[in-house]
Amino acid sequence: MIDFVQNLISGIAVGCIYALAALGFVLVYKSSRVINFSNGQFIAIGAFLAYALAVWAKLPVLLAALLSMLLTAGLGFLVERVFLRRMVGQPIISVIMVTIGLASVLDGLMYLTPFGSGNFTFPQFLPQGGLNLGGLSVSYPQLLAIGFTAIFLLLFGWFFQRSVLGVSMRAVADDQLASMSVGVSVQRVFALAWAVAGLTAAAAGIVVGAVSGLNQDGLIAIGLAVFPAVILGGLDSVPGAVVGGIIIGILQSFSTAYLDGLFSQIGLVGGGSQYVMPFVVLLVMLWFKPHGLFGTEEIERV
Amino acid sequence: MKRVIVLAMVAALGMVMAQGRTVNLLWSGAVTGPTSDVGGPYGAGIEDYCKYANEQKLIPNVTLNCTVRDDQYQNPNTQRIFEEALDRAKPAMYLGYSTGAMLQLKPLINEVKMPTLPASAHIGLIDPPNNQYMFLPVSSYSEQVVALMEYINRTEKNAKIALVVNPSPFGRAVVDHARRAAQRLGQTIVDVREVGGGNLDNTALLRALDAAGATYIIHQNVAGPVANILKDAKRLGLDRKIKQMGAVYTGGSDLIRLAGDAAEGYLWASSYYTLDENTPGIALQKQLAARYNRSADILNSTNYTAGMLAAAIAVEAMKRAAQRFNGRIDNETVYQALIGMNGPNAFKPGFAVSTKAGIEIDFTRTEQTGAEGLRVLEARGGKFVPVTDPFTSALFRQVRNP
Repeated sequence: MIDFVQNLISGIAVGCIYALAALGFVLVYKSSRVINFSNGQFIAIGAFLAYALAVWAKLPVLLAALLSMLLTAGLGFLVERVFLRRMVGQPIISVIMVTIGLASVLDGLMYLTPFGSGNFTFPQFLPQGGLNLGGLSVSYPQLLAIGFTAIFLLLFGWFFQRSVLGVSMRAVADDQLASMSVGVSVQRVFALAWAVAGLTAAAAGIVVGAVSGLNQDGLIAIGLAVFPAVILGGLDSVPGAVVGGIIIGILQSFSTAYLDGLFSQIGLVGGGSQYVMPFVVLLVMLWFKPHGLFGTEEIERV
Repeated sequence: MKRVIVLAMVAALGMVMAQGRTVNLLWSGAVTGPTSDVGGPYGAGIEDYCKYANEQKLIPNVTLNCTVRDDQYQNPNTQRIFEEALDRAKPAMYLGYSTGAMLQLKPLINEVKMPTLPASAHIGLIDPPNNQYMFLPVSSYSEQVVALMEYINRTEKNAKIALVVNPSPFGRAVVDHARRAAQRLGQTIVDVREVGGGNLDNTALLRALDAAGATYIIHQNVAGPVANILKDAKRLGLDRKIKQMGAVYTGGSDLIRLAGDAAEGYLWASSYYTLDENTPGIALQKQLAARYNRSADILNSTNYTAGMLAAAIAVEAMKRAAQRFNGRIDNETVYQALIGMNGPNAFKPGFAVSTKAGIEIDFTRTEQTGAEGLRVLEARGGKFVPVTDPFTSALFRQVRNP
């Protein structure tokens, strides 16, 4: 039983990292209906900025983390101004292609820096080991992920329900033309969405860096690993991203604990089912509930 | 006027003769992209040794043109780079990199008769078919893993071992040999798991292996995933129950940096000398890293040593080819020089440990592994120190082709 609970807790902790990484993705989609394929690159940039500020500029890690979140938010804002603003009103597929191109450009730029090759680690800023209670254990970076996710979830919940800007973002997501006609600045909403997406991506990058070190490909891969989470939770739902992320995390943990052993027993090398299961769920979800658990179900009348 | 033109032509010819010929050496590997933590320092080692070879004129009257290309760990890129090199400036030797790309290129390498030294030590590269021109600089991954199993057997009989390997041909290379070795040693392989990069939590994995009764984990991976497993094992208190160890690309300074204290006690099979040892190769490595302004991370990396060793073997083979074949350096003469690198003609650059016979690097037509000696090292106080003398795995020769 204790193994089951431990695997559940570990899955929730990893799921919170996915949720954090998925938030930026959902925010951009929620406001602009754009699927941001450069989310992983933002995660990597945020993490490397924090590393550069902490190690090269010798700032305290927490200050470096805060600054990197702000700088990545600035980058998100800039990207929207330079690349995406002129795409307003263009077909969605064109905008998506821009984000794919953006991912490629950001990748290339990172390869030109020292971060393009090798592994890096943050200076120690959390206690080593983890919290152990009654035989159950969670590492401190995982606790950081859970904390970050909870804070962002509460903030975004308030933001989208109560603030004028949040309501404007939802309105723009619903109907850009109608929003403009009532005086909502669509451009401002888009810029804000990209900035906040940058901020959450940086937070995810910092947490991943604290858990497993910094490696460009590893960080970018997290950006792609959140696809099953957002499809499961619903592309335009912030709570959905969190729930989806946690479900995927638990699924991976349980697959490793229970399925891989079975695969090994029947002679299949390695199992590796934790890599496959999220995408099995993604496929099943797309078959039966394409808008996800919490996504907006759009009804199109012909 | 005619006299001036003739004089100018003679002078130009003289200058060309004085400069000598140019011979091409190609390396393509992951300077960026997956496994670039290995490829970056490896490529730097090749680059620096080539510069040194030209500066010191190690091959008389020959300028070495070393091309270092980044294939980003993408097999199509590797293939394109290799084919381009064949078309444009046929290299005398090819220094390869990843297991997947090398397995893919094996038939082509055999067809164009290109002597090749890959960074990958997958035994399948030197197993038939199409293996004639492939040479491993150091002992294979499989031999390293079997050697670790023999090391376990020295202190504990009938040990229960789990294998944790990279989800790729690179990782899976060792599984069959380890299973056969376990049978002969009376050990049990309780589980084989695949773990790649991005392993954010390994609690379920470690608890499952613990429940299966594993008291040893042998890794065939790169340092990143292993470091995460070591940290989680320490957090869960399983570092006291399960001893972890791994093949050459799992260890080194990268593992110590990533895993910190959790790396303590990790056992590592490697053919290379460490930076703390005073050998000609390691002294040269320090000298070149200082001369070419390499960072401490690169200097400390075993992969930098590995790149230098590969380049040193290539340069030595070219030098010997020039001596034996009246200055002719091409793929054919370099191949002949390589397979003649044995017995009294074995090569001893001081980057890798020697066997009991005192041989560091030797090749024959059928024995295509360079450094056959390896040691087990242990992480102690933030660095790896040898805990065995150099040895070769006798058992591996039995389980390689049963």
